[in-house]
Amino acid sequence: MRAAHSHRLGRLVIACVTALVALALLPSQAQALTTEKATARPNEDGGTGVIGGMPTRLTWEGFVEEGEAITSVTLTLPEGASFDNTTTKVTVLDDLTRIPNDATATPSGNTITVQLSDPAKEGYKLRLEIEGMAFPPEGGDVVVTGSYESAGKKKDLAPSKPIATIANTWLQQMVSFLDAQPWVQAWNQNQFLGMFMKPQLVLTSLFSLFPGWLVCLGIVVVAYPFAILLGLVFALMKISKFRVVRAIAVVYINVLRGTPLFLQIYIMFFGLPMMNINIDNNVLGVIVMAINSSAYLAEIFRAGIESIPTGQYEAAASLGMGRLLTMVNIILPQTVRRVIPTVTSDFIMAFKDTSLLSSVGVMELMMFSKNLTSVTGNMTPYVTAAIFYLIVTLPLIKVVSTIEKRMAQSERGGGPRPKAKGKESGAEADDAATRDEAKGAEPSMVEALSAPFKAGTGVFGGVADAR
Amino acid sequence: MHNMSRRSFLKGSSLLAGMGAISLVGCGGGATPAADGGSAQAAPDAAGTIMLVNEGKLTCISNMYFPPFEFMDEKTGEPKGFDIDLSRELAKHMGLEANWTKESNMGFDTLVPTISAVDYSDGTAKGKADIAIAGMTITDKRKQEVDMSDPYLDSNQSLVLRKDSEETLESLNAEGKKIAVQDGTTGEEWARENLPVADASKGIVKLDDIINAMNGLNSTTYDAVITDLPVAKYQIETEKNYADLKVAEGIPTGEQYGIAVSKSNPALLAAINKALKEMVEDGTMKQLQITWFGSEV
Repeated sequence: MRAAHSHRLGRLVIACVTALVALALLPSQAQALTTEKATARPNEDGGTGVIGGMPTRLTWEGFVEEGEAITSVTLTLPEGASFDNTTTKVTVLDDLTRIPNDATATPSGNTITVQLSDPAKEGYKLRLEIEGMAFPPEGGDVVVTGSYESAGKKKDLAPSKPIATIANTWLQQMVSFLDAQPWVQAWNQNQFLGMFMKPQLVLTSLFSLFPGWLVCLGIVVVAYPFAILLGLVFALMKISKFRVVRAIAVVYINVLRGTPLFLQIYIMFFGLPMMNINIDNNVLGVIVMAINSSAYLAEIFRAGIESIPTGQYEAAASLGMGRLLTMVNIILPQTVRRVIPTVTSDFIMAFKDTSLLSSVGVMELMMFSKNLTSVTGNMTPYVTAAIFYLIVTLPLIKVVSTIEKRMAQSERGGGPRPKAKGKESGAEADDAATRDEAKGAEPSMVEALSAPFKAGTGVFGGVADAR
Repeated sequence: MHNMSRRSFLKGSSLLAGMGAISLVGCGGGATPAADGGSAQAAPDAAGTIMLVNEGKLTCISNMYFPPFEFMDEKTGEPKGFDIDLSRELAKHMGLEANWTKESNMGFDTLVPTISAVDYSDGTAKGKADIAIAGMTITDKRKQEVDMSDPYLDSNQSLVLRKDSEETLESLNAEGKKIAVQDGTTGEEWARENLPVADASKGIVKLDDIINAMNGLNSTTYDAVITDLPVAKYQIETEKNYADLKVAEGIPTGEQYGIAVSKSNPALLAAINKALKEMVEDGTMKQLQITWFGSEV
């Protein structure tokens, strides 16, 4: 009881003290020009930080209190900051209405003085945007201080909330180094080179686009196994004996192949949330890509399966194999080999198509380069993005052409053909050939996948098998 | 990074009117190299010529997803809007015809680079368009790349929310919030600068156009949209689908829209500024504002 009482007393005392302190503080808080905010535009390429020693824009806003008429404002930054060579946009606002004012800004080192043509009256908001200024290179929290002049009297401004800045990075120092190089300047003088291949931007964008490239790769690499599985299921459904199953597969494949991926992305990204289904953007990206690719893969697989000669089915049947066994052990392994080039091409397409996800805010390569381009007003980030795409697609294109060459060779009957030799010799060799055939019926997946890279293996597919 | 130097020499002063350029005596600038990031105004030149991409036409580009400033007619696909009408009147005042084609619609982020890439080096204009008119705020950064005309309209930013949302500008500056903006706009800049916590956690989503942003907000993909106040107001008032959205507050930025013109074509800039002034004086501008905003802005 007593304890509770003293608690209450304590609270009362605290309340009184708080009120007194507040009263004491109140007059000093009533600045004639209240600093509302001071912010800086992030100037880290592809990042969100404010880097010291690099040009950026400082925005300072102040609110004119009762009975004042502001004629000039001086902002001061810590030593090392620079307002030199800046341009300043001064806006006087009465709520949302612009008040015309011709202001002049005089920068000098780490201070800048803005002189207003007409005094800013009470209730007005003063907004200064200083483009091209730089914070101290060493970084840290920067507080904007300064003074203002009201009716001929000079008073100090209340310090702003600190602006967090970071130290100049080695990358930015490299950029400054490039800036100073005569050859870089000459290079950028050329309108084409300067617009599409600005060395400074190539350098910075290589770093800032990298995370986007990983996202692209991640999405397609995760999506593709699912696409293959789904594709296989729908391919088998499409060659099913049952009409209904076939119909489902046909509708699925035709709708997805017959509509643009862009549209599918929009439907999924804007449609699902409307049904209160909220999925992470990247995951949804994977899902859309997997579903889209599965339709194309289904067609590729179906064509692959149907290209296997009837003789293979008959041979399997003669060995007493059932339909399922034939499909899994004989037909599919041969199909794998035949479809590898087309599947790889489709993979390349899918990888490139991840760029469409940028339109719905997935932070992938295209998105990063678009942001960078809009910030810099230069096309170089797109060219760098092209390099990133090519890093993946060029080797794959090479793979496709190698496989196709090998396949064409074996279709023509080129290269060593061990089986042909076996058929020429007598009964014993025939037996061996049969054993070979039997063994060949169960090739491992690895063999099947690597077959196209080995010259003239001639085990699967090809004219030889048709006999 | 900012001191992008651009070839800006004009051989233009002795140009012939027949070479895809029309001559407007007394309202042009001649061969004045615009200094780096500079504000050097071209000295008036008696033989100042306006170089145009298409003879007799003022060829424009814009981003057509920014109603009421520019958008495509639902039925015909024709460009419509305040800026479109403004460009037509502007061209009329300059003795030209505004040229809007299907190709006039571009990504907002590419407008400034496209205008600055027009090649005037041999005295003729080789490029896509003469001007970009797209509700584009005059900023010092854009002025480093292109010249901006005198302002033709005042604007502000705004915070758009769903009607049931309790978010404020303060509460949005937190991890996990998703704020949609249009790529390359002052709205994007404002959001990145004033909502750094959200930005650092990749919460500021940059989209191609503001329609996507509004749809995404409507479908709860995003928590808020930051865009130009007139656009937000018009969208919510006219579009039935946005009945659940509101302009939560106007963000006073006092920005002003201008028309982007190449730095290498000072004569065109001067002619546009002159025409804009005439349009204010003869009431054309007022009429346009009444048509599109219901009242004078």
